[in-house]
Amino acid sequence: MKIAVCVSHVPDTATKVNIGPDGKTLDPNGVAFVLNPYDEYAIEEALKTKELLGESEVVVISLGPDVNKETIRKALAMGADGGVLLKDENYRDSYAVAKALAAEIETQGAQLVFFGKQSVDYDNGIVGQLTAEMLGFNCATVAVDFKLDGDKITVEREIEGGKEVVETSIPAVITAQKGLNEPRYASLKGIMAAKRKTIEEKEAAAAENYTEVLGMKKPPEKAAGKIVGEDASAVPELIRLLKEEAKVI
Amino acid sequence: MIIKNNKDEFASYLTDAANFKGAAEAVYFPESEDDIFKLLEMSRAKKTPVTISAARTSLTGSAIPQNGIILSMEKLNKILKIDAERKKVWLQPGVTLADLHEALAERKLFYPPDPTERNCTIGGTAATNASGAKTFKYGATRAFVDSLKIILSSGRKIFIERGKIFADNGKITIPILSGGNLEIVLPDYQMPPVKNAAGYFVKKNMDAIDLFIGSEGTLGVITEIVLRVIDFPEEIVSGVVFFQNERDAFSFVEEAREQSYLSREKKTASEIDALALEFFDSGSLKFLSEDFPNIPPEAEAAVWFEQDVKLSERENITEKWFEAIELNNGDAENSWIAMSLKEREKFKNFRHAVSVKVNEYVASKGLRKVGTDAAVPDGKMRKYFYESKKIIVESGIKFIVYGHIGNSHFHFNMLPENEKEFSAAKEIYAKLCDLAVKMGGTISAEHGIGKLKRDYFLKMCGEKAIRQMAELKKQFDPFLILNPGNIFEKKYLIQI
Ligand SMILES: Cc1cc2nc3c(=O)[nH]c(=O)nc-3n(C[C@H](O)[C@H](O)[C@H](O)COP(=O)(O)OP(=O)(O)OC[C@H]3O[C@@H](n4cnc5c(N)ncnc54)[C@H](O)[C@@H]3O)c2cc1C
Repeated sequence: MKIAVCVSHVPDTATKVNIGPDGKTLDPNGVAFVLNPYDEYAIEEALKTKELLGESEVVVISLGPDVNKETIRKALAMGADGGVLLKDENYRDSYAVAKALAAEIETQGAQLVFFGKQSVDYDNGIVGQLTAEMLGFNCATVAVDFKLDGDKITVEREIEGGKEVVETSIPAVITAQKGLNEPRYASLKGIMAAKRKTIEEKEAAAAENYTEVLGMKKPPEKAAGKIVGEDASAVPELIRLLKEEAKVI
Repeated sequence: MIIKNNKDEFASYLTDAANFKGAAEAVYFPESEDDIFKLLEMSRAKKTPVTISAARTSLTGSAIPQNGIILSMEKLNKILKIDAERKKVWLQPGVTLADLHEALAERKLFYPPDPTERNCTIGGTAATNASGAKTFKYGATRAFVDSLKIILSSGRKIFIERGKIFADNGKITIPILSGGNLEIVLPDYQMPPVKNAAGYFVKKNMDAIDLFIGSEGTLGVITEIVLRVIDFPEEIVSGVVFFQNERDAFSFVEEAREQSYLSREKKTASEIDALALEFFDSGSLKFLSEDFPNIPPEAEAAVWFEQDVKLSERENITEKWFEAIELNNGDAENSWIAMSLKEREKFKNFRHAVSVKVNEYVASKGLRKVGTDAAVPDGKMRKYFYESKKIIVESGIKFIVYGHIGNSHFHFNMLPENEKEFSAAKEIYAKLCDLAVKMGGTISAEHGIGKLKRDYFLKMCGEKAIRQMAELKKQFDPFLILNPGNIFEKKYLIQI
């Protein structure tokens, strides 16, 4: 069976991002990019499934500019068999991304597709679902446990305040949540082997955006803390402030 | 200046990371040099001992008093200036290593000495000459301290810049800022030719600044520091390699070490030149397996390596490490290579977690840490390791070993279950120190002597040297009020 994993290349949440001069896009200068953290669980689950099944192949697909190859290479070093870069330098919304991914998954003939539950750049959390819909695949999201038995799939999903177990079957799209597994580190052998694997590059299938970004704003700066005093004499004032200004007691 | 007199409010100032416990009357929090002057003036008048305390991550009791008052450096925590062009940083001693790293990273600068625990302060690391994983390539804190401003117990101030004042004929002349000189007679003992943090640094023609680095707060209060920093590495290759036995891990380390020295000699950037080489035995891996479930269960040893490289050399260098791993039976299939900064930080945490876990384990039993800090010459590394291990195994006490193996420096940590085993562990500790000294090594390669290791240090360098060190301290602190009890027992200060 062919298993596909769709991965995105996102700003590291630990780096400070700035808004570009157009006020609508991120300024990539000085930003460290990483493999989207939720996609790591997706890759790991695909690799585990492949190890379980034997005869199967894992292909990693990423849409974006040339630098996304770095992220694909990481997935190859972890053990994926092949990679595809769907080239596009321009901004796409979730719909347009899903459109191009669905077309490629169809070309690849993959029957099982893993996504991260959301990518931590725009946090829309819908690319997996849209792709499933476009392909006519089943879909289970926010998976924290995944089992495959023949064609039958059992997924444990995280839901508000609890867990839900759903059953479905191949062909399917699964989106991964933290806790699904413990992603492996790339091994040296994997890195050496990845050098011999090629990344196929092609133009991403054209698609119109359904939405338009009108503008981006940074959250307001946090106000500086206030030191009321250093000893017991400050307590009444502190209580007053907590009551009247912060309104928390 | 804030003063805490109520013992309930300053209990945390009476224990350090090794769970060494002490007592004090009050804690003072100076916010300026002036506050320190006043505090010392008062202490001189009342003959009250003063113990300098920073982040208390020390593992030797050096920041914990037995009586008197505590001078906390925590309010003096400002980075005063970063000169990216000259690659220098001016700072107050209470700045933590974590804060310094963060401020430097924003300017693409880097400060290599990192004693694993990043909550420590720069003043604390200068006072203990701390070192860390990157010491294998860049040396200890000493190598990066450019100048120091110091207040002596007399209230007099000195400022020492590296490269300005040198020893001559066993003497050093140190100018006092307000006028006059201190004529200091130096001890004449020989330091072992290994990575070393035991006692005062003394060498023929030494730089005066080196006397203060590693002096454990016994000579003066450091109030300002100028550090040298370097460019942030373009890229760091980082990996954790697992082995089926310790022998193979040692062969791997020896090969990497030899190649690193060769690369430095030839000044080549295209060969193995390790930044760090850290060892973990099977016990350490078991300790870590809860937090790092990816550790292969059959691994009996691991080595974490790092190398700072030019981006253009990344692939070539990774390949060189791959060859060394294969050649020495490393588990290339299951070894880990960091593919991002985040993963690199995880490997760093791997190393940090093991020391933290030991400290927590020991504290949970209500006992004190019994962990060696000895280093030996490289040629004696294996012999020292196997003989030490044999001694502990025979005792039946649980233990784990990890450490800065690039510098032939292991931490054998005994894990006693009760008081009886704790006493036995201390005896083993003494034996392991003796063994290191016999092999030409040191009993403390990085943590220093403090109050916990004085007896072993006395054995290492002999009573004559200890008396000379006490004399040295008296020349800077004739009032005998600063950090008494560190490095040697107080009795050496009183006897003539
Ligand atoms: C988990 C863990 C791992 C560690 N790993 C390492 C390691 O790998 N390598 C290593 O070298 N150390 C290691 N350490 C020890 C520790 O981090 C160092 O000893 C550190 O340098 C102490 O810094 P501090 O700010 O906590 O100082 P403190 O512990 O508060 O004080 C240490 C000494 O410095 C003196 N001092 C502090 N500030 C001044 C000042 N301004 N002027 C004069 N004297 C002063 C104190 O009086 C005391 O003698 C580790 C500790 C922990 C808890």
